[in-house]
Amino acid sequence: MGMPAPEPHDPHAAFSALALTAMDDVYRFAKSLTHDESDAEDVVQETYLRAFRSWHTFQEGTDVRRWLFTIARNVFLRSKERERRTIALEDPEGESAAAVAQHVEWRRDGTDELLLRVGVGPAITDALAAVPEPFRSAVILVDLEDLSYDAASEVLGVPVGTVRSRLFRGRRVLQTLLLEHARDAGFTTTAGSESR
Amino acid sequence: MTTSEISAATIDCRTLVRQLWDFLDGELTPARERAIAEHLRVCKGCFSHVDFERKFLAAVHAARESGAAPEAMRARILSALHEAGLRTE
Repeated sequence: MGMPAPEPHDPHAAFSALALTAMDDVYRFAKSLTHDESDAEDVVQETYLRAFRSWHTFQEGTDVRRWLFTIARNVFLRSKERERRTIALEDPEGESAAAVAQHVEWRRDGTDELLLRVGVGPAITDALAAVPEPFRSAVILVDLEDLSYDAASEVLGVPVGTVRSRLFRGRRVLQTLLLEHARDAGFTTTAGSESR
Repeated sequence: MTTSEISAATIDCRTLVRQLWDFLDGELTPARERAIAEHLRVCKGCFSHVDFERKFLAAVHAARESGAAPEAMRARILSALHEAGLRTE
């Protein structure tokens, strides 16, 4: 008898090679969603168990990170019961224009400079945690994880137009929260009293 | 009017404002991106808006959580996967 023929395709090896190697990315994504290391670990563990059980549905050659992010987000939403059926007014261009209008107002008294001064790591992380869903996930996927609108729409399971609306609104909310943080921390604009 | 100014004139400020985020996210067609870039070369007002939002997005991206998945978590997950039937070398 000759040697047994090698397995033409070993799904376990494929899972290890493709899915397990993305664990750093999934963990980082989970930490952004949960803003808590312990919760993030729970999300990651549940994500990988679900991914393993449904590995047969993954189309090799497609983006495994995108697939895992989809699972992770669903795990997160179920665990926090944050999935709400929101009827969003989809006007992404309107949101873009609103951001510029806000900047025009902020520029008058130097608030825009204040925002960039305070917009550093921990402040942004804390403010992002306060951005409500469904806007927060859109900001995390596009602005932190560098997904395209198309990729984010796959993860979120919504049309690209909805991604754009949520993303643009999320950015505006984030800016407002950062500004509140700045004022609470005693930062002032250079146009006013002495700045911090 | 120079060629650039003519080209930039086809994108007005109102259009740019409505496509600002799409532009910064690299989601526009190359032709539209070029048109907006031309407009920004000649319009200081629009340039300041784009510049501000670009800096904001850079700051948000820089705040990305760093660090690899903890080894203890990795080991726990691998153990759970093995219990679920994953075979590894």
